[in-house]
Amino acid sequence: MAETIDDFTLDASDPAAPLESILRTEELLRRPSRPPDYERENRALVKLVSALADSPRTIFQVLAQTIQEITQCDSAGLSLLTRDGETPHIDGQRFYWPAICGMWGPHVGGGTPRDFGPCGDVLDQNRTLLFTHFERRYPYLMPVSPAAEECLLVPFYVDGQAVGTIWGIMHTDRRKFDAEDDRVMDSLGKFASSAYQAWTRIEDLRIQVSEREKAEAEVRQLASGLEAKIRRLVEANVVGIVMFALEGAIIGANDAFLQMIQYDRDDLASGRLRWTDLTPAEWRCRDERALAELQASRTFQPFEKELSRKDGSTVPVLLGGALFEGTGNEGVAFILDLSEQKRAEKALRRSEAFLAEGQRLGQIGSYSWRVATGEITWSEQLYRIYDLEIGTPVTLELIRTRVHPDDVTLYEKMIEQAPNGGKDFEWQYRLMMPDHSIKYLQAVARATRDRDGQLEYIAAIQDVTARRQSEDARDKARSELTHVARMMSLGTLAAAIAHEINQPLAGIVTNASTCQRMLAATPPKVDSALETARRTIRDANRASEVITRLRALFNRTETATDPVDLNEATREVVALSFSALHRNDVIVRTELADDLPAVTGDRIQLQQVVLNLLRNASEAMTTVDDRPRHLVITTARDDGDRVRLSVKDAGVGFEPQAADRLFESFYTTKNDGMGIGLSVSRSIIESHHGHLWVERNDGPGSTFSFSIPCWREAGKSSSEADLAACMRSGMDTT
Amino acid sequence: MISAVDRRQSGTDARRAGLHPSAVRSEDDRVALDHPLVSIVDDDESVRESLPDLVREFGFAAQTFSSAEEFLSSRCVDESICLIVDIAMPGMSGPELQLELGRRGQSTPIIFITGRNDEAICVRVLKRGAAALLLKPFSDSALLAAIKTALQAA
Repeated sequence: MAETIDDFTLDASDPAAPLESILRTEELLRRPSRPPDYERENRALVKLVSALADSPRTIFQVLAQTIQEITQCDSAGLSLLTRDGETPHIDGQRFYWPAICGMWGPHVGGGTPRDFGPCGDVLDQNRTLLFTHFERRYPYLMPVSPAAEECLLVPFYVDGQAVGTIWGIMHTDRRKFDAEDDRVMDSLGKFASSAYQAWTRIEDLRIQVSEREKAEAEVRQLASGLEAKIRRLVEANVVGIVMFALEGAIIGANDAFLQMIQYDRDDLASGRLRWTDLTPAEWRCRDERALAELQASRTFQPFEKELSRKDGSTVPVLLGGALFEGTGNEGVAFILDLSEQKRAEKALRRSEAFLAEGQRLGQIGSYSWRVATGEITWSEQLYRIYDLEIGTPVTLELIRTRVHPDDVTLYEKMIEQAPNGGKDFEWQYRLMMPDHSIKYLQAVARATRDRDGQLEYIAAIQDVTARRQSEDARDKARSELTHVARMMSLGTLAAAIAHEINQPLAGIVTNASTCQRMLAATPPKVDSALETARRTIRDANRASEVITRLRALFNRTETATDPVDLNEATREVVALSFSALHRNDVIVRTELADDLPAVTGDRIQLQQVVLNLLRNASEAMTTVDDRPRHLVITTARDDGDRVRLSVKDAGVGFEPQAADRLFESFYTTKNDGMGIGLSVSRSIIESHHGHLWVERNDGPGSTFSFSIPCWREAGKSSSEADLAACMRSGMDTT
Repeated sequence: MISAVDRRQSGTDARRAGLHPSAVRSEDDRVALDHPLVSIVDDDESVRESLPDLVREFGFAAQTFSSAEEFLSSRCVDESICLIVDIAMPGMSGPELQLELGRRGQSTPIIFITGRNDEAICVRVLKRGAAALLLKPFSDSALLAAIKTALQAA
């Protein structure tokens, strides 16, 4: 225990503050929100779209500026996952800052680790997060000045993979981020993925041409003039681009757009394609608003809507645009296909909801454990099971403080073996909560390898305390019931015996008394007295006969013959002996045949035999330390309408010549507590018309087995019926 | 079936118990004029064999019946000064006979005898006015005391 406390103290002295303590995300919704400034937003977005075509190499810088402009923050930038600290890569282990503007401008080119930093947290949680003073948890951010009072981070995705984050920082509390910032950042995140794709395409191009200057010159040349800009963007096919007339005609469109709505170039060339027709009825109203906006300010605020495809289905899109300079009634619009994103969002929401609800309902928590880094992630339900505050950093030592003292050895063994094995495993253990209450947990862990080949365990842990308690209560009730039933039948039996014996006794006493009186009379009535004496003797003989019949009944070797499900009976015994076996570090495996027929016998007696075999196996392994203490219980159909049950241990085994004596010697030495001796077990099995034997395993240990006949309807004859028959005959006898 | 009346018996015990033959109402029964009648109802044959002898030793006349129904259909219902009835019998049980006699307005005192110590039934029959209850096997003096109690109460 002292060791545990030391470990915990050490852990607590670590300067890293818990993640929860530096998060303010939930506050975003509670804070008063500034009114949306669409005009500023539009200007910034149009500039951003132009930059996509204009100069992809500076697109990240423009994106950073746009963030700063729209959110009015002190610093803004983006982080990309990279492998070498510069080239973006989705499997990267480090975030790189390719562009920053504002007060953090000088830090461009810096970055943070993938697995211990704000960007990593955002990717892990897969949502926008608001941090305050993240250097309290991530000390490597301390030298990056000025310190961040608040930082709003938004993840962005390409092809469904998280590739980076965009972020805005306030260095003082002159202004706090609010829900409006959350909204615009979310919208900018969608542009970030386009920017990222544009940038990587340029990078690909650069590698092909393999001459940086030449490429840049080409890009510059291409990028001169609005037409060139548009062409560039159109050809990139990163986003759908449409040139349109205010009255409804579509003048031009790129392949990306046509693909989105599943029309082809011929449809476009025919002039039949009108954007007004591409809008489903329920979105016309929203279109009208955009149109009015366009006429008033020459641009319109990007918005989400749906477009009709050729086949009548719809596709969700994000749409933004502006009128060309000078022309007055023609313009360009960019269209992003959101279907995959919507689908992913929906699926994610649903699966998260399912998982959370499922975990809550089933009292199941889950966790992942990266063995190499020791990084452990818990689900909320698992925090609840362990009764720890959600978000507390989890360590193996912290978990151990909750593990029941009797199970700590098992826990440590598991931790010790986990890195080598890389196998799936299952175990049951107990927790001791601070209030000394006990929880029973059942865990199943799957070993997986991540992309870098590192071992990671994904485990589900179920709180089975309630089940255990009800099982315990049920077992207790059952044993009480059995006891009561025995007492009841004993009471009934006693009354029946009393009645049978008392009848002749009454005759004996009465006759003897009468005889005495007759002899005492003056003169003695000898003849009558002789008659009563004769009757006395007859009644005494009758009583003696009753006793003889009862004795014959109870000397019967036949036991109760009911159909017994041996699998179920065995499971109950295993559940009952769980604690005892567990204390002895015995790992129990049951291999019970699915279609096992019922056997004929006394359920309680058979359970006593199974219990005894388990106890015997467990005791045979108490001195075993060089191998796992495996105990395997098997049931199977045996030849000749019989069922066999075997208990195999990995214990010390026995000498061949001792096989027969085993059943003798244990009788006197081990007949204590719950179990009964092997000798008694053998006599029980023999009374069930079966046999019990022992064999040496090929490996260490031995296997005890018994085989008994299956249930047969015809063999039905209960001892109660025998008793009743006996009583009837007793009454008839005179 | 009514057993033959044994004329050998004397009325000694009955007189000692302070009973007078005039208490017997039946004019027809020759013996009953001298000895008050005790009826015994029990399905157990050994009781029907042994108990009448003892009762006669006490100075009473005795009649035995193997069932309540048999007793109810006999003249002895009106002639007995006391009944000795087994509780558990096939057909009408002892307590049921007690109820039936109550319905008929018969208040002849009843001594119950039983081989089973069933407390609930014992309490029930005593509450309904049974004179005494004897557990088999019982001694001769216990029976005599019970008969005395029964006749005094009547």
